[in-house]
Amino acid sequence: MKQDISTLMDGELFEDEAELVLNKMKKDKATHAEWETYHLIGDALRQPDHVCKKFSANFHERLSAEPTVFAPRSRVKKTVRYFALSAAASVMALALVAWLSMQVATEPVSIMASAQPQNEIRAASYSGPNGVNDYLLAHHDYSPSTGVHGAASYIHTVAEK
Amino acid sequence: MRLNVNCFLLLTALMSGNGALADPLRDDSGWLNAMAFAAHRTNYSGTFVYQDGEGGHVDVSRITHILDAAGEHERLEGLNGVPREIVSSNNQVWLYVGDRKIRIQKRHDARTFPALLPEQIATVKENYSIVQLEEDRVAGFHVHTVLFKPKDNLRYTHKMWAHTNSGLLLKAVVLDERSRIIEQYAFTQLSLVNDIDRSWVLPKEAEPEAPINLIAQNNPSLELKTQDWQVDALPAGFKRTMEVCRPMRNRTHPVAQLVFSDGLVGISVFIETTREAANISTGLSNRGAIQIFSKVSGDKLITVVGEVPPRTVMQVADSVRYTGQ
Repeated sequence: MKQDISTLMDGELFEDEAELVLNKMKKDKATHAEWETYHLIGDALRQPDHVCKKFSANFHERLSAEPTVFAPRSRVKKTVRYFALSAAASVMALALVAWLSMQVATEPVSIMASAQPQNEIRAASYSGPNGVNDYLLAHHDYSPSTGVHGAASYIHTVAEK
Repeated sequence: MRLNVNCFLLLTALMSGNGALADPLRDDSGWLNAMAFAAHRTNYSGTFVYQDGEGGHVDVSRITHILDAAGEHERLEGLNGVPREIVSSNNQVWLYVGDRKIRIQKRHDARTFPALLPEQIATVKENYSIVQLEEDRVAGFHVHTVLFKPKDNLRYTHKMWAHTNSGLLLKAVVLDERSRIIEQYAFTQLSLVNDIDRSWVLPKEAEPEAPINLIAQNNPSLELKTQDWQVDALPAGFKRTMEVCRPMRNRTHPVAQLVFSDGLVGISVFIETTREAANISTGLSNRGAIQIFSKVSGDKLITVVGEVPPRTVMQVADSVRYTGQ
């Protein structure tokens, strides 16, 4: 199933196959969660300021709160349509990410991330004060470059990332 | 070429009556010593801009360094975005991020010798060709430019602008083998005075956010024996300068740290017993010129941190092996 979701996001499934996967996702919560995780990975890859963890849930909440104008469709139809749009958007997003990775050759993070998406999803917490900074400060204590740069070498911990 | 540059500089110095070059300290590697000395023995306060990568994010920071009878005190405060600052007093360091106050305590004083040891200077000369370039001005101060060009592509090129009178580093650029800028910083304003307001470098009242696990700290049976670990694929010229098993926050076990130096930059290898998979991350990331690469090897998490190119930290991490019983 994971393979199917991944292929769907890559836009490589035929229409009938895609429909099967989308239907399965509608019924199976675990599969749906996987789908969301894959999108979260995509979001993390783009390294925005905020990664939205519960996009789908929030989206549904706001959507259902919106006033209904003229001939309302059945809920089921609306959901299918949303998934279809979402799949199309995600294909675009992934294509963009892949393209960016190709373009920005100087950004090793992106390259590594596209090779190992499972690792990149944790990067948000890694870069926080509990992760990298501990190593940076420990390294800072003993690196000869601290001797030459002095307090300025703390910039790696203080600079925004 | 190097001879030509030196002849030119000597000529300029003679013509301008500037005696700086006549100082025996001011030979190629002497500048490095002067910079190290000035970084820890000068009182200064200023603003500097830092850029991570070519066309990357620009940060503006305020920096203060005071040396008094009680020792060294420093403060570095980011002026963009979420307030982040570091205050240090001798071997204590406090890190503040936004509202969070994280206190970090160092276990030793790495600053006992501000000057570089002769062996370290010799090591730098083995691994880099040192060239004095043009004289220049940074933040209104006259500077000498020194280029450290590595003899292999497993480390970066460093270009440094040192204040002619004090030796203080006023601008620094790190370049890769294709001369692309990896990171750079430069003072835009600097005051070299002794009467700097001391309240600037006083730590704020703060409780530790996540105290270091003292049980781990006091339990020798949990410590990894640093001598049982071997790193095979270090670039030529890196020597093991330090090894320690230290407690780190959010960890039940102490972390072994091996430090290697080529005289100019360092590579730290951290070895720790893996925590829950959810709390660790593997792969490559960077903070400016510092690359960080983590990988799981058996039940250990290996993390390599250093001011070296990505391939170097990866190569080093892949070569860490256990040689104990």
